[in-house]
Amino acid sequence: MADSQYILEVNNLCQHFSSGRGKKQLTVKAVDDVTFGVRPAETFGLVGESGCGKTTTGRTIIRLYNPTGGEVLFNGRDIAGKMNPDLRKYLTDNIAMIFQDPIESLNPKMTIEEIIGEGLKVRGMKDQAEIRKMVVDMLRKVGLVEEHATRYPHEFSGGQRQRIGIARAIIVKPKMIIADEPVSALDVSVQAQVINLLNDLKEEMGLTILFIAHNLSVVKYFSDRIGVMYFGHLVEVANGEDLYKNPLHPYTKALLSAIPEPNPITERQRVRIDYVPARDHDYSNEQPSMVEVEPEHFVYCSPSELAKYREQIAANA
Amino acid sequence: MAAENMNREVVLSVKDLKVNFRAYGGLVQAVRGISFDLYRGETLAIVGESGSGKSVSIKAILGILANNAIIADGSIMYDGMDLTKVKEDTFHEIRGNRIGLIFQDPLSALNPIMKIGNQITESLRLNRKMKKEEAKKVALELMKSVGIPEPEKRFDQYPFQFSGGMRQRIVIAIALAGDPEILICDEPTTALDVTVQAKILELINQIKKERNLSVIFITHDLGVVANMADRVNVMYAGKVVETGTAEEIFFEPAHPYTWALLSSMPDLHTKDRLDAIPGTPPNMIYPPKGDAFAARNAYAMKIDYEMEPPMFKITDTHAAATWLLHPKAAANGIEMPAGLKARIERMKRSGALNG
Amino acid sequence: MMIDRNNLPEELLNLPDSAFESLHQEDIKDEKFQTKPVGFFKDAMIRLSHSKVSMLSVALIVLIILLAIIVPNITGYTYVEQNIELKNLPPKIPVLCDLGIADGGRVLEKRKVEALSDTSRYPEGCIIEIVKEYELKGVPMCDVKVDAYVYQGAPDDQYHWFGTDYLGRDLMTRLFQGTRISLLIAFFSVITNCIIGVVYGAIAGYYGGKVDLIMTHVAEILDGMPYTVVAILFMILFGAGMLSIVLALTITGWIGTSRMIRAQFYRYKGREYVLAARTLGVPDATLIFRHILPNCVGPLITRTMIAIPGAIFSESFLAFLGLGIKAPNPSIGVLLSNGQDVLLQYPYQVLFPAILISVLMIAFNLFSNGLRDALDPTKRGEE
Repeated sequence: MADSQYILEVNNLCQHFSSGRGKKQLTVKAVDDVTFGVRPAETFGLVGESGCGKTTTGRTIIRLYNPTGGEVLFNGRDIAGKMNPDLRKYLTDNIAMIFQDPIESLNPKMTIEEIIGEGLKVRGMKDQAEIRKMVVDMLRKVGLVEEHATRYPHEFSGGQRQRIGIARAIIVKPKMIIADEPVSALDVSVQAQVINLLNDLKEEMGLTILFIAHNLSVVKYFSDRIGVMYFGHLVEVANGEDLYKNPLHPYTKALLSAIPEPNPITERQRVRIDYVPARDHDYSNEQPSMVEVEPEHFVYCSPSELAKYREQIAANA
Repeated sequence: MAAENMNREVVLSVKDLKVNFRAYGGLVQAVRGISFDLYRGETLAIVGESGSGKSVSIKAILGILANNAIIADGSIMYDGMDLTKVKEDTFHEIRGNRIGLIFQDPLSALNPIMKIGNQITESLRLNRKMKKEEAKKVALELMKSVGIPEPEKRFDQYPFQFSGGMRQRIVIAIALAGDPEILICDEPTTALDVTVQAKILELINQIKKERNLSVIFITHDLGVVANMADRVNVMYAGKVVETGTAEEIFFEPAHPYTWALLSSMPDLHTKDRLDAIPGTPPNMIYPPKGDAFAARNAYAMKIDYEMEPPMFKITDTHAAATWLLHPKAAANGIEMPAGLKARIERMKRSGALNG
Repeated sequence: MMIDRNNLPEELLNLPDSAFESLHQEDIKDEKFQTKPVGFFKDAMIRLSHSKVSMLSVALIVLIILLAIIVPNITGYTYVEQNIELKNLPPKIPVLCDLGIADGGRVLEKRKVEALSDTSRYPEGCIIEIVKEYELKGVPMCDVKVDAYVYQGAPDDQYHWFGTDYLGRDLMTRLFQGTRISLLIAFFSVITNCIIGVVYGAIAGYYGGKVDLIMTHVAEILDGMPYTVVAILFMILFGAGMLSIVLALTITGWIGTSRMIRAQFYRYKGREYVLAARTLGVPDATLIFRHILPNCVGPLITRTMIAIPGAIFSESFLAFLGLGIKAPNPSIGVLLSNGQDVLLQYPYQVLFPAILISVLMIAFNLFSNGLRDALDPTKRGEE
């Protein structure tokens, strides 16, 4: 994936966490050899279950963790290398993050104005009145009112807090947003508000979004392309429609078969597919790698599996 | 369905229940007069967002309300007793033995420093006065029936040695240990991954059939509701706004809130802009006059701000609290949004296709 | 309770048509708040003020502090003024003495009855009553209660509310002067502990890793030193006095605070809002002081409040061992130490400092318990 059609390129990214020393050392490969690219102004969805490394991937890209290996290019510039003030500034100017927990992600001791305006202050803006004006504009943009600026986070509902989190991220006008499960902690009725808001902002500001979530319906609705992660590996990348119609990796199939749909007729006939890696793959002789099985459709598979998948596609067509 | 319901035995009956919480801002009216019956062998799903009073009402049933809660009015009839009036001692006998509870977070529901086996046998030995050996035999049976592989080996392990799904199975085994007739599930799969969630839902369904349990299932996930529920209560701002069988709620919803809920979430086929529900739920210290949903309702009428709508009966099993069902509202020609209509048509078709 | 639509009750049937006019609400905005904004500390203070025990203890603490400030200036005595003639006088309080309580009386045992009329030994009016009469080896003897003030030749209008000590110094003046000094020692040592602990713990907790490892070990080594020994060392170095005591209380006192702060930092530095600030490029110092430290303020205040009676007690303990503050300066500990030498003859010399230190410690402990509950974020909004 070396072509420059991507604004963000993640190549062989590894993030290993180790604890203990010597013989007792324990290494967890939270992210292992993950490769994908995100095009400008597109939404790339990253799905997977808890512990699959999707959140770690996002946090490593924005350098909340120092990557163990691999490279991350943003507009061609490596942002996974050694941290220095210049790189920090480049990173914070271009990429912002939205967090999962609407309660945890806002400082309880700061007012909304201080929270949203902090990014501006860090960038050297001193004029209180101007900051105030920009904060109020931003509040209106996310559907809140001026009076909310002087309030504390605990007075807001989950959806409102998440909108405040979005306001904080976009007030510095980043090119890309990493949204880490922005709706999964919200009530159903407000999830749609936040998704619509993100969609509007994306169009208005030409944002590129890396959307991390576990809910495949939401990811499919929101994303242009989707990557499926399982235990630190990216196992399948495809267009949303393709992935849903033609899932190739057995884990993707299992995931799709488990999503409950609000339809009592289909739900009562649901057939669930189990994914058992030891049964579904035989990697004793061959090493799996990321392969483009058909245009725009990548699967993590071994050569013999690749042949099988190609047959499947031919049969479907 | 309707005739069936008439003949079925009511195991639990909630009448006009009102629960308030004292806070220094004032009195929070968490539950504002809800009524429902639970029949033997059915699953009743209670859907609503946080703060709608769904958790509070089941806490009232179990007698585990917080100290600052007051049951202001109403009754909860179970086996000839009014649970709003019984003493704590009686509740000890009811909880676990006759009404089982499955919590949202399996980790905090288990004692981290006690072996799994002992946590299951504890209730058997306490409530059913079993001997140690006998209790162990029953516990192993239970563990097997909730799908825990190698129960003998797992019996002596600690909660941290189990995965989230396995922990929830243990919680279910503990809930079943007292051989209850009612199982209350408070968002039992929200903390779990989708693939694990599917397995747990299957398990609860299977147990329910085997034991002819009555299940109250609390959730905010409509997909889960569709999977589990025979009947559905939709709650908003401390009231039941619509009640009906699963088919009625999903295919013939009548309350604007139910419409909004159904159309606000994307499914795998959604491409159009989502119909978000604007605004936020009302502050329950100052519940609004009239229909609590009026301020967020695109179809609101004048009367919604003046008078609380009663439950209008649609069929024997289906009713909704909205003025839209009043004959005089028909002149406005308001019906469910077109997007939702299309989606329901699609759902019915896909169901027919698969069937 | 369900309403049949085809068979509406009268009052519903008669609703006017106009009521069912559709409002076509389109642009629905978020509601403004109906409640007033309540900050974290305001909320805590509301809950604190609802606690009767906390309010009572605050009142006691304030009262004692006020007494410590005022009393030594208004008794008419100073804490150093000696009068050997008037040593060990019992308490005598105006008005009350007329009721027979705190009348400055003392019982003298085994006195010859005939000597009672000797005005050179028993000044006129000093005898209050004869408690017991008996014969010893044929001599009529008695136990007699005298007004010690007259007996020892004090002027008529002289009153010592808490009595005097072995050098005839007014004990009330000394007690509140001592309270002043004890409180000062406690405040100084606690504030120093607080500052050192916060800075040390914040650095160790925020940076973690090797920095934390080294700093924790250094603290552990210091913690291993027995503080009585350290106190003696400081006495040798700086002489007896407030400085030595404060230093002795500080050398290991901050370690607990730093551990608490470090733990809080570990807890909060991974919070999403701290991460969010980091992704915005917020510098380390702002993260530490603006985002993480405010969360430690609650536990810190509680801890400090608990440490104050602890420090007072430690000071008394040192004084008891003779490592107290330099004479003639009093402290509660010094007074207790002096008083216990004559505990059996003159129990009141221990009684008043003992009552004061007990009240002080109970009040501070109850107050800090109340504060802990009030600042506990999980109890927010409860009554």
